[in-house]
Amino acid sequence: MTSPVKPLVVDNLSFRYRDRQGAAIHNISFETKPGEILLIAGASGCGKTTMIRAINGLIPRSYKGEMAGQILVFGEEVKDWKLSQISQKIGTVLQDPERQILGTKVLNEVAFGLENLSMPRDEIFTRVDEALNFLKISHLRDRETFNLSGGEKQKVALAGVLAMRPSILLLDEPLASLDPASAQDTLDAVRALADQGMTVLLVEHRVEDVLRIHPERVMFMSEGEIRYLGDAQGLSKVVNYREVKLPAEQIVTRAKQDPPPVQIKILPGVTSSQLEKEALVKFQDVAFGYDTEREVLHGINLEINRGDVIAVLGPNGAGKTTFVKHAIGLLKPKSGSVFVNGRDTREASVAEIAGMLGYVFQSPSHMLFAPTVREELAFGPTNLRHPKEQIEQEVKEALKIVNLSDNENDPPLALSFGQQKRVSIAAILAMRSKILVMDEPTAGQDYMNYMNFMDSILQMPAFEAILFITHDVDLAVIFANRVLMVNEGRLVADGTPQDVLRDFDRLKANRLVPTSLLALNLEKLSATGRFMRAEALAHV
Amino acid sequence: MLVAWRYRKRKNSFIQSFDPRAWIIFYACFLFATLSFWDVRFLLPFFVIAIFTLITSGVKWHEMRRAFLFIVGFVFFFAFLTFLTGRGGSEVYKEEHLIREFRASFSILGWTPVLKVTVERAFFAVSQLVRVTSIAVMTILIPYSLNPALYGITFKGIGLPDKFAYAMDLTMRFIPTFGRDFQLTMDAQRARGYELDKISGGIIQQVRKLGPVIVPVTIHAIIGSEDIIDAMDLRAFGVGPRTWTDVLTYQFHDRLLIALGVLILVASIVVGFMGYGAFWVPEALTKIFS
Repeated sequence: MTSPVKPLVVDNLSFRYRDRQGAAIHNISFETKPGEILLIAGASGCGKTTMIRAINGLIPRSYKGEMAGQILVFGEEVKDWKLSQISQKIGTVLQDPERQILGTKVLNEVAFGLENLSMPRDEIFTRVDEALNFLKISHLRDRETFNLSGGEKQKVALAGVLAMRPSILLLDEPLASLDPASAQDTLDAVRALADQGMTVLLVEHRVEDVLRIHPERVMFMSEGEIRYLGDAQGLSKVVNYREVKLPAEQIVTRAKQDPPPVQIKILPGVTSSQLEKEALVKFQDVAFGYDTEREVLHGINLEINRGDVIAVLGPNGAGKTTFVKHAIGLLKPKSGSVFVNGRDTREASVAEIAGMLGYVFQSPSHMLFAPTVREELAFGPTNLRHPKEQIEQEVKEALKIVNLSDNENDPPLALSFGQQKRVSIAAILAMRSKILVMDEPTAGQDYMNYMNFMDSILQMPAFEAILFITHDVDLAVIFANRVLMVNEGRLVADGTPQDVLRDFDRLKANRLVPTSLLALNLEKLSATGRFMRAEALAHV
Repeated sequence: MLVAWRYRKRKNSFIQSFDPRAWIIFYACFLFATLSFWDVRFLLPFFVIAIFTLITSGVKWHEMRRAFLFIVGFVFFFAFLTFLTGRGGSEVYKEEHLIREFRASFSILGWTPVLKVTVERAFFAVSQLVRVTSIAVMTILIPYSLNPALYGITFKGIGLPDKFAYAMDLTMRFIPTFGRDFQLTMDAQRARGYELDKISGGIIQQVRKLGPVIVPVTIHAIIGSEDIIDAMDLRAFGVGPRTWTDVLTYQFHDRLLIALGVLILVASIVVGFMGYGAFWVPEALTKIFS
């Protein structure tokens, strides 16, 4: 009996980008089966995306360089195939759906590939409806793509690929910008596709989330090579639990053998006498709309006080970014007022507020411009007229915190996305504002890097309060002492993580999903009295 | 991701009652016909058409206020500048009839600024204002009135090949996307204490200081273009003739509009060949100021 042809065989694959030294991936070999989900994990820059680009044909067609080895799709080498041929066998969904969506309407977007294949219109409509039905988004068919939420955009991008009926699906960090419920929906859809026989290669930092859909195998990559390829159970035994986010129970088991983690002192610069002072930021009945017809923030009232480490949670499109942009004065309320250090933001310029409140934008590419990382970091403090010697010190410290000291002379725009994101955080850290506001600081970052820089940021004596927007419930569990939940432009919860996150119905209503770490913390709360990271729970 | 202009379906909109192909053809005819005249008497009917289209477009003032004021302000500024300097108009008139001369009471390095108000300059400014305003009004209305989902099939429908039609679709959406990226970059840099309005120094120094805005916007546009190309390649764009899911069908009134546009253009060309429509000033005025 002959064995069935493998959907994908990667044999001894190596690749070096034309303008870079050293290979991005070396000697990668593996094969897949029909109906299999292969989870690919690893730190930023380990070669995951390069491997995906080689499989979908963008390497070497769009990204030039030296390539060795071969890729077989259903037994045929794809080296000489046209990209259009490959795209009919292999569908790719990129990390950021914003970078993939081309159509202005959902129907046009999903139909795009089929139109290019010159299919009859009836066939196109049938396939579009099938893809939308499968992902349970038929109600979006006639909507405009730029008005969709992040989760909806991701599903529409996936539908556009599924409509072409590929046999192999490549997903490059599809959960990076999704709220937990949308991420779960996407993963359920992926599981269903695999169960129908599709081969799925899923690159993802959120390993714990993917493990819920029981991937058949897991690949762990490091420095361009495969370090582990096997079943999911074996992963936790071979990888460092500080490198990959594993389920809390597995971390607890492993961490019991290690000494307990050192407890960090959060915001050490805030003394107990300062806690009584006036609020740093005050929102009074704030309402806002981008146009006159639709209000997106309604009656927000809150104070940010010294010592607060606030996690802002909520679904995609809930108004979280709009809310925090009011704190730095980038947006002014339509009614109500925002006060920063007692000053109405209507009466102060953004640059004036920046000295008091530092704001890290979601996307680093909108701010990076300087020829070197060092100059990029010096830009903010120079604008704020800090003395030269002080700027040098601020830049050095910020680089150390984000683990980029070795890159200070590199051009920021030549770094990986994860590194660019860390440069954008360091650029604001160097300004030494009293309040730090970060919009999804961990999106697209690997676990070890973001845990390290979050630890370091919270221990910086310069900050009096920190606020971060996140979709990662565990980030709120580990680092926050206050949680704000925003939904449909309203503040729907404000309290300690223990109070806000224990209500699972409320989490569900706000498209959040309880994590294994949250569940374990709630289980042990009577003994611990507060939320802790898994490594610390191992020693309770 | 490319964003689209602020289109919406509007009640009783004259412009939206037509097939977009018909409107684009009419607009092209209008544009070239208007450009063939300098005579304000010939330009006035075009101005009337533009104002009629504006009033019946259904676009609310608050929606287009910024774009409208910017473009019309720009037109007024240049018409006024031409009036002051007399440059530009000298190509369409040979002699000038002085109405009044204003001489400055000071000199700069021996040169005394003089403003000559002549019949020709005044009429040229008025003609220029009417001509460019007519075109500007008709142009502004397009992004507010044409459905972005139909850009591609519209250009395909007026005869462009698939690739060019889709390229036009992307280009139409690139402009508002660029505007959004510019605003995001400005916001990100303002949050780092950067103040565009406080830039000082010489021209080269000022351009250098614009780097924090220009570099990210440019790089973002380049990366965005590469992403678009990758996304198109990954879904087999350009492998052959493509099917367009949207279908446009001409109605009787669409054909009438196209016929009207073509008629206006042909008539304008013929009138031009007959020697009419060139720059004009009332003879009576030239006699008074001769």
